[in-house]
Amino acid sequence: ARALMMPPSTARRLCFLSLLLLLLLLAAAASATADAAAAEEFTEELLLRPLPDRKALAHFHFRSSAPPASAAGRHHHLFPKAISQLVQKFHISELELSFTQGRWNYEQWGGYDPMSTNNAKPPGVELWAIFDLPLAEIDATWKNLTHTLSGLFCASINFLESSTAFSAPRWGFKLNEGNLRYGALPREAVCTENLTPWLKLLPCRDKAGIASLLYRPSVYKGYYHSQKLKLKSSQSLGIILDQTLTVVLQPNTVSGKQLHSTGGQLQPSWSMEHLFSKKLSGKCLVSKSSRVFVEIEKGIVDNVDKAGSDVSSNNDLFVLSTAPDRSLKELDNLEVQSSSLYEYDVNNYNSDKPLNVGITWKLPLIWSCTRAPYHASRFLMGSGNERGSIAMSFLSTGLDKQLVDSSNDCSIKAVVFQVVPWYVKVYYHSLEVFIDGNSKAISEVVDKIHVTPSEDKLLPGTMEMLLKFPCSMQLATLTLDFDKGFLHIDEYPPDANQGFDIPSALVSFPEFNSSRSYPEADPLFVSPLLENFKEDGVVKSYTEVLLVPLTTPDFSMPYNVITFTCTVLALYFGSLLNALRRRIGEEERGLKKLLLGNCNLHCFSLNLKC
Amino acid sequence: NTIACDGDGGSVRRASCFFPRFPTGMSLIPRAAPAASMAFAGRDPAVISLLKMLPLLLLLTFSSAAAPPAAASPSAVHNNNWAVLVCTSRFWFNYRHMANTLSLYRTVKRLGIPDERIILMLADDMACNPRNNYPAQVFNNENHQLNLYGDNVEVDYRGYEVTVENFLRVLTGRHESAVPRSKRLLSDEGSHILLYMTGHGGDEFLKFQDNEELQSHDLADAVKQMKEKHRFKELLIMVDTCQAATLFSQLQSPGVLAIGSSMKGENSYSHHLDSDIGVSVVDRFTFHTLAFFEKLNMYSNASLNSLFNSYDPSMLLSTAYYRMDLYKRALNEVMERYIYF
Repeated sequence: ARALMMPPSTARRLCFLSLLLLLLLLAAAASATADAAAAEEFTEELLLRPLPDRKALAHFHFRSSAPPASAAGRHHHLFPKAISQLVQKFHISELELSFTQGRWNYEQWGGYDPMSTNNAKPPGVELWAIFDLPLAEIDATWKNLTHTLSGLFCASINFLESSTAFSAPRWGFKLNEGNLRYGALPREAVCTENLTPWLKLLPCRDKAGIASLLYRPSVYKGYYHSQKLKLKSSQSLGIILDQTLTVVLQPNTVSGKQLHSTGGQLQPSWSMEHLFSKKLSGKCLVSKSSRVFVEIEKGIVDNVDKAGSDVSSNNDLFVLSTAPDRSLKELDNLEVQSSSLYEYDVNNYNSDKPLNVGITWKLPLIWSCTRAPYHASRFLMGSGNERGSIAMSFLSTGLDKQLVDSSNDCSIKAVVFQVVPWYVKVYYHSLEVFIDGNSKAISEVVDKIHVTPSEDKLLPGTMEMLLKFPCSMQLATLTLDFDKGFLHIDEYPPDANQGFDIPSALVSFPEFNSSRSYPEADPLFVSPLLENFKEDGVVKSYTEVLLVPLTTPDFSMPYNVITFTCTVLALYFGSLLNALRRRIGEEERGLKKLLLGNCNLHCFSLNLKC
Repeated sequence: NTIACDGDGGSVRRASCFFPRFPTGMSLIPRAAPAASMAFAGRDPAVISLLKMLPLLLLLTFSSAAAPPAAASPSAVHNNNWAVLVCTSRFWFNYRHMANTLSLYRTVKRLGIPDERIILMLADDMACNPRNNYPAQVFNNENHQLNLYGDNVEVDYRGYEVTVENFLRVLTGRHESAVPRSKRLLSDEGSHILLYMTGHGGDEFLKFQDNEELQSHDLADAVKQMKEKHRFKELLIMVDTCQAATLFSQLQSPGVLAIGSSMKGENSYSHHLDSDIGVSVVDRFTFHTLAFFEKLNMYSNASLNSLFNSYDPSMLLSTAYYRMDLYKRALNEVMERYIYF
């Protein structure tokens, strides 16, 4: 009995201990959830860059990241739930969806830097996704994914569901084991209705922070605008969502038209207010960091060096309207200073003191952006509605390969990936290669080729090619013949006489790396934008979209046929019935009888004899 | 005082439709005379027999009301509003049809229906069209005061997706399983739906994208299916095309109100040309409808009657037609319940 009864002090102590334990557990749980919730991050960045042809580039970059689902469960406070549901439902490991209008001008705006490699996209909609599923289930999942994305982004992405619209490249687009699907819609319009849901995925939407600069008429008046959504999901890292919007605008300023005293024309001086009609009045409060960068390309930096001035924000050639908080210099392989970035931390600005970054040019300046080794373009040859040819040309831009010298084995590799719809029936055996005007054997130039021929109404034709060009080459042309197919009358779109599109081909140069590294002064925080720049990425460029006129039927034919047929039938049956029923003599007799009858009556009434 | 049987499978299954008359020659539903003389129950043999049948009658009406679980009670409460706005024309010279639809979209959003309850179908892209001098902006007036496209537009069906098939699927709710929720009309028996269509039309048809036609009996069949499935309590159809009234000639479902911009044989005209944009920017019927709605806000008590009275044939250059025979409430009692609740 004594053993069972505990002294009151021990009981009290036990009670206190258990209460303490309970409190500790609760605190641990709270901190766990707080940790998980705190691990969701959002950063926003804006990069501005003057372009050589008197335009300005603005690149918005928003990154949301969510920790792995096992840690955080299904509750999100910054990360958009729609995206995490998408990733879970369709088992996506990587996805990229871009909406573009306009063509990236590789000659003027560059083709070698990470911006043009990652953000120069083909016109219309481009979607590719890598799934974490058994290969047999991927096509059905792709179909459901396209429908869901079409509802989410107000676009007709559901047209990519049919097997005639997507393809499964193995190495031409991105090396994979057969779980990648790629589709493009070149004629998809991109307008405010696509931007609205894209902005709704951001925690501050377009109400606060950098996204508040997006004045829609400015964005859609640009020469090029491309909004992109890139997803990467893994069990260990969770989901990382990058949303970028790249716009090339023409600043509308008076100073741009002035002639300088030295005779050259000054580049237009612009600021954020000129570009977007707004100033930046503060950051999005839930963002971990909010920064604006101004990028001064290598071409300008070289000119400044040549002028003998020191590359700072205020020098002989240009001056930035606001003093930057920091400047970062890119270090390339040879430790030679290339481009430089001036950084502004939006945290230091608010609605009383808004941020309005701008650049004012002091001297006229001409520079050029680094280009890809070859300028790839594509065009159609031939006339008539029966056959034609697709030609692809590679024009050397004079970029010296690092390993070049006079060795004869020097060659530049290029990978071509092209998808052609089934009604453009390409004959892959008719591939011809011309280097500097001379016809070469295919085996000399084509290292590896993988073709999935098209099947009528089932599959598009996919071609992946690895080419090796000699370094000294100036111009190479590839041609492929095709026949134009016939479509069923129901398959023609309402504006069939405009023609049909062949989506852009992708040309990549695997030996050229477009990464740029900027040493970070702050070891604790890595800017996602600069992280993307540092990523290894091969230089790539997209060719033009081709418009193929196909034979269209006379859409009024059904009406014409019905009219003709009915007329013929009416004439035939009418005449037949007439011939069968009509008695010519009977008519006359009938008429005579009538007359006689009348006459008799008449005679009777008049007492005359007939 | 006869009870009509709703041939359309109306929301009430009346007992008299299902049960034959009794051998005594008396129907199950008492007529006014015997009911009035219930006070003299003791003396009237007819009333006595009626009283005997009363519990049976009650049982039958309750069972008939309870039996089909899908049958809505006649007093389904109005609890949500939907809008389906369709522009069926493509090409730049049909800018005004897009502006018509977007004007209604803006009005409907301003007066309280959220984007989740609006299905907007635009057959072409005018705002970001290369021919548009004002990118991302659509105007319905040459004074360019109002940008209809705004910052938050959400278009559900775009471009080549605006077809007769998709339109009928939206109305009847018969979609493939993969179609997302934002593209479905998720209305129920308490919904008031506004269906607005504009484009080119003619005698008993409406043209979709110069490629196909929606005929009046297609529309009537779709509405009939909607009624069977209890997808609306009341439906207001507004059509702004030439000979719009002919599109309603086959409608029979109760609870449908139809307004058309012109009668058979009449054209509907555009309102004015904007010399800056280069095309006509709005149609007359929609212009005057908007002029009426711009004076309202969410708290106004205007009635449909005042909307009808605001149409002036000399301004419209056509006769606005409305079909009210399928609609049971008196129009001056109807507040603008379609817009707010």
